[in-house]
Amino acid sequence: MVSDEVLRTHLQELRRGTVVVASLVALRQPDYGYALLQRLAAHGFPVDANTLYPLLRRLEEQGLLTSEWNTEESRPRKFYRTSDDGEAVLGRLLDDLTAVQMSVTQLIEGVGR
Amino acid sequence: MSSLTDRYLAATLRAVPQQRRAELADELRASIEDMIEDRTAGGQGRGAAEREVLTELGNPEQLAARYTDRRLQLIGPRYFLVWWRVLRTLLTFIPAIVGVVTGVVKATVGGEPGAAIGAGVASGLQTAVQIAFWVTLCFAVLERTNTSLNLPEWTVDQLPEETRERQITLVDSCASIVFLLVAVAFLPWQHFQPWLSGDGSRLPMIDPALWSFWLPALIVVLVASMGLEIAKYRAGRWTWPLVAANAVLNLAFAAPLVWLLLTDRLLNPALIERFAWLREGGAEDVAQVAVVVTAVVVVWDVIDSAVKARKAAA
Repeated sequence: MVSDEVLRTHLQELRRGTVVVASLVALRQPDYGYALLQRLAAHGFPVDANTLYPLLRRLEEQGLLTSEWNTEESRPRKFYRTSDDGEAVLGRLLDDLTAVQMSVTQLIEGVGR
Repeated sequence: MSSLTDRYLAATLRAVPQQRRAELADELRASIEDMIEDRTAGGQGRGAAEREVLTELGNPEQLAARYTDRRLQLIGPRYFLVWWRVLRTLLTFIPAIVGVVTGVVKATVGGEPGAAIGAGVASGLQTAVQIAFWVTLCFAVLERTNTSLNLPEWTVDQLPEETRERQITLVDSCASIVFLLVAVAFLPWQHFQPWLSGDGSRLPMIDPALWSFWLPALIVVLVASMGLEIAKYRAGRWTWPLVAANAVLNLAFAAPLVWLLLTDRLLNPALIERFAWLREGGAEDVAQVAVVVTAVVVVWDVIDSAVKARKAAA
């Protein structure tokens, strides 16, 4: 039996890129940092706050997200939304995710035969 | 008193460039408040919730590094191998050259042969530390400025021709040569360095009369041994001619030494006069022990080289 440590590292590697995909999908509906974190967690994407917050800013710098300050509620919050560029990149990422899933399926079937 | 959140924000923002601080401060404060609120709504005390949230966010410097994409390593994988190669290459010969030159200058121009070894070792060490520091600094700067070195890509042509592991490593050869240099330097050192400082008189350990022939002859053998070390390194392994040369040089050094020891001609007679225990049979004991040690070392070295040559030939 492999150690939990080894398993954890592999799962982490596998999950790493999917946080970006999940964020770009989720932010089609504008949201602020912590609310996004909770939504992602609820949908099976547990991510650390200290990973997600810097990631959002990086995606904004890359032009994949736009942001807007919302001052209507109890405290001002920065709302992020997936930009057109972000949507285009997301399209490519989702295609690739599907391709990976298909390749794995084919491989499994191929080995099974 | 400022709250833990204020202190956390200040610690994080300190490591973020000025122009981005204000906005990041607002956003991060809002995020922290959101997280605390969520926990207090669940019935937790505010103080405990704040602590928990900040602990979850972790070391503020690390968080700031994530925000600014700053590297948390001195030299990353991109430059590590080049850095290591440059460092190793420079350290193999520059400190040794500087040390030897300093020692020689000190002994000749400076006229202080006694202080030559110390000065050489010290300057060699200083040079090594300086090289390590400046090379590492250069690569750390490259890492942070993201400068491309435009180094040629690795190709299969760079593969070393040798597939067998070296029997004679560079470290071994360098160590042997340094040892031989020290041995050569010891002979003039013991002659010039005051052995007894009590009345200021200089008493060399070895009979000064031997400088007429035997000591220069031994120095020649030691220098020839350095040549053998270089030849051995170039061959990469022990070969039978090298074993023969090694045996000859060992004998050329040991035979005169043993003969001088057994005929009581090695130690300075004035030194023996000075010490009662040397006068009363101590000198003979010293000679006998030295003869045995020399014989054991020579025999062991020759057998060892022959065994290695056989292994290398196999």
